[in-house]
Amino acid sequence: MAESLDGKPAGDEAPRFRLHLTQEPVTLVVLAVLAVVLFAWVGGLSRLYYAQREALGNRWFARGVEDARTQKYSAAVIEFRSALLYNRDDYAYQLNLAEALIGAGRSAEADSYLVNLWDREPENGVVNLELARIVAQKGDMEAALRHYHNAIYAAWPNDEETKRRDARLELIEFLLNKGARAQAEAELIALEANAGDDPELQERIGDLFVRTVDYERAFAAYRVSLRSEQHNPAIEGRAGEAAFELGRYPLAHRYLQAALTANAEDTRSAELLKTTELVLGMDPFQRQVSVAQRHRIVVEAFKVAGERLDHCSTQKAGEWQTNVAQTSLAQRWTEMNPQITEATLRRDPDLVEKAMDVVFDIERQTSTSCGPPTGPDLALLLIAGLHEGN
Amino acid sequence: MGLLTNGPPARVENGSAKAAALPAGRFRTAVLETVFREDRLFLILSVFIGVFAGLAVVCFRFSIDWCRLYLLGTGAVLTPSRMILAPTLAGLVIAALVMHLFPATRGSGVNQTKAALYIYNGNIPIRTAIGKFICATLAIGSGHSLGPEDPSLQIGACLASTLGRRVRLSRDRMRLIAPVGAAAGLAAAFNAPISAVLFVIEEVIGHWTAGILGSVVLAAVSSVVVSRWFLGSESLFRIPPVELKHPSELIAYAILGVVGGIASVAFATGIATLRPRLKALPRWTQYFQPAAAGLMIGLIAFLGAPQVMGAGYEAIDEAMHGRFTWQFLAVLAGLKILATTLSFVSGTPGGMFAPTLFIGAMLGAAVGGVEHRLLPHLTGSPGTYALVGMGVLFAGFLRAPMTSVFMVLEVSGNYSIIVPVIVANTFAYVISRGLRPVPIFDVLTRQDGLDLPSMEEQREEGVLHVEDAMRPVEVPVVNAQDSVEQALREANSAGVDGVLVRLSPSGWSSIAKQELQAMVDAEVGGASLSSLLSDRRIPYVHPDLPLETALRYVDRWPLVPVVSRADFRKLEGVISQRDVLERYREFGET
Repeated sequence: MAESLDGKPAGDEAPRFRLHLTQEPVTLVVLAVLAVVLFAWVGGLSRLYYAQREALGNRWFARGVEDARTQKYSAAVIEFRSALLYNRDDYAYQLNLAEALIGAGRSAEADSYLVNLWDREPENGVVNLELARIVAQKGDMEAALRHYHNAIYAAWPNDEETKRRDARLELIEFLLNKGARAQAEAELIALEANAGDDPELQERIGDLFVRTVDYERAFAAYRVSLRSEQHNPAIEGRAGEAAFELGRYPLAHRYLQAALTANAEDTRSAELLKTTELVLGMDPFQRQVSVAQRHRIVVEAFKVAGERLDHCSTQKAGEWQTNVAQTSLAQRWTEMNPQITEATLRRDPDLVEKAMDVVFDIERQTSTSCGPPTGPDLALLLIAGLHEGN
Repeated sequence: MGLLTNGPPARVENGSAKAAALPAGRFRTAVLETVFREDRLFLILSVFIGVFAGLAVVCFRFSIDWCRLYLLGTGAVLTPSRMILAPTLAGLVIAALVMHLFPATRGSGVNQTKAALYIYNGNIPIRTAIGKFICATLAIGSGHSLGPEDPSLQIGACLASTLGRRVRLSRDRMRLIAPVGAAAGLAAAFNAPISAVLFVIEEVIGHWTAGILGSVVLAAVSSVVVSRWFLGSESLFRIPPVELKHPSELIAYAILGVVGGIASVAFATGIATLRPRLKALPRWTQYFQPAAAGLMIGLIAFLGAPQVMGAGYEAIDEAMHGRFTWQFLAVLAGLKILATTLSFVSGTPGGMFAPTLFIGAMLGAAVGGVEHRLLPHLTGSPGTYALVGMGVLFAGFLRAPMTSVFMVLEVSGNYSIIVPVIVANTFAYVISRGLRPVPIFDVLTRQDGLDLPSMEEQREEGVLHVEDAMRPVEVPVVNAQDSVEQALREANSAGVDGVLVRLSPSGWSSIAKQELQAMVDAEVGGASLSSLLSDRRIPYVHPDLPLETALRYVDRWPLVPVVSRADFRKLEGVISQRDVLERYREFGET
């Protein structure tokens, strides 16, 4: 605005300036009122707008949930995406979309949603579990463990204990598939501590312990399970197998026998039972065996071992001639063979152990060089394992 | 500058002192005068402009969304019939509206705002805002590949202009009010006040002045407050965690800059080539051009890329969160260039900011995806690349390098991304400038037969300084304590017409030989020069000042001293009118 040096309006500008002086306060008041009125009007418009968006979002979400429930994941993905158009930050919409994407086999797409959800709620169990599955698929062991553990200790919306337990079971499966047996066993021990008497869970724990080669705990779990389901042939069979692996053959015999009685088709139990019976019948060191019977068993075992040695030396002729240990084993058997009769054993009871030492050595050696034994040879090898170090 | 002249007396600003001497009626006037000075009114108006622009942009956003719901449907997946029919039919309506009711609404709105500033004294008819609102709503809501930011900018400028006219602002203020409204509109649309202020300063006004900056900032901030009140404070797209994994990753960002630069050139070339050709077609074809563009966009969507329809923020969001393969991202970037070119050159009103961001995000995420495949341990998330890519296209296509950097920073809220952004943007900007010297906004202006100042050219215009024209001191320099006779001897021995006098403790003066001779003749030759020259100080300039500063003094003083800034008594050279004119003549010839 042009002004004279003393600050007054100059020339033609003076009327305009005076106009300003009188009109400006009015103008500003009018503008303020207008702003308030428009603000209120846009506020009303905004409520209408958001109400419509919310309704549309909920409508699409409901459709998505319905389709996901009936496993129409592709349709559910589209519907959840539509719902997200109206509220892109809605946690439930995003989570359901991620789950639908996983259901539709589009884990890579789900990943980004889950990462976003995880950023917002790092303690959410569902998100951690889904993320754990995705990173586990990618083979990222460290991240998978982190997310599985987060899921195990996470907050779950309902049935918290079951969800946590299932997450841990899934983690154990993952670790076993990755060959991390020690870690899997540690998780299993933690799981077992809170497992209670649920027969199905105990059965599963037993199976998992079997996979970690911890037969002791596996057997214990099966026994807990059998307390609730006393005549479950499947569990009895597996308890028998665990006892068999532990070398507790009388127990194994009991469980396997029971399993087979209930289910004659159980070939695995039948096979194990047969071996168990052989073990029980061919172990000369059992307390309840009489002296005469023991001698008979030793003679029979020595003969079986000799046949195995003979068979193996024929099979691996070239190797046997050059292998010093094996040659000496054959020599020991040949030297001792004339002495191993029931009469000689009666005269010299010390020969029992010496003869059985040769038998065990032969079975161990042949199992290494000629493959796993079967039948009586297998029984002798198992008996060797039982008395190892004695 | 340390000019010592006798200027006009300082004005009395102290209102209370003044009031004490005035009667009651004049006192009231004096108070009103102090309170309602135009610059203060302008600042208050800026807040109102921000509020109104913010409200208008909120309504604009609601309208676009409603339009989309009714024309394209409520689902994320569009039906083929809507995909093809909505943009085509909307195109016919838009063409009729533009040709008969709102002819000034064509284009993005940035150049129209510049034209208001430089040609129409800040006047933009309110009809333009109404037309832009309706046409852009229809265009974007029906799926034309355009964005709402530039129209928001123009709507803000129109509202500001209307308000300025209503309160009868002076011509100077009227010129500035359109950019203030433009900043408010853009800030509300982008939800990014800093970027909006920078863009308006960088692309519309072209220079920083304290007077306008305050108003622009006030308007932008108030409009963002209003838009956040209604639309929430979230960014237009959700920003994933951004990271720079390793300094060597900067090479990857440099590659992104190169790719972005080339894409920017392709995009700009497409628009610059097709637009005049379509405009040159018979007038009746203009009724069908937006519809034809809409039909082609519908077909692109129908053939598998519905993401190119509309502003595309949802797709940007998805790209940022790694939901597309790099191959598809690259295809989307290419198709968006095509779709936006078609929409824009057909004369459909709508903005280019959102498509630019879309193309940048897709390109960035695609380049990031390729680099991640090649060097999985050295590259960050696709979201980081998408974000940087947006800045790259902004720098390369819109040629607003400062805004491009700050926009990414403001949108991401993450300072650690600044180095990748600067690296990538620099490459894109340099490549784009090298291959297309004239920025797209200037191309469009010239195609429309206007000659608006090019902000890029202005920024890079060579400026002459005093040091370019000054010459060594050839006249004798004497001290103020020296006698008149001594000064005359110096002038005689040097064979010049006068001497420069160094005053004490500071300042300079000059005296002609004739004057000295007259004093000697009047037998005052023994007197010191200081007693004669105390009120005859001459201005001095510094070597780094613009040459036009010297021009203000050289017509009144034949020789102006050029002195050091560190020591005002140290003479670096002298400058005369002839020196200045000679230098300008040489500059003009080069």
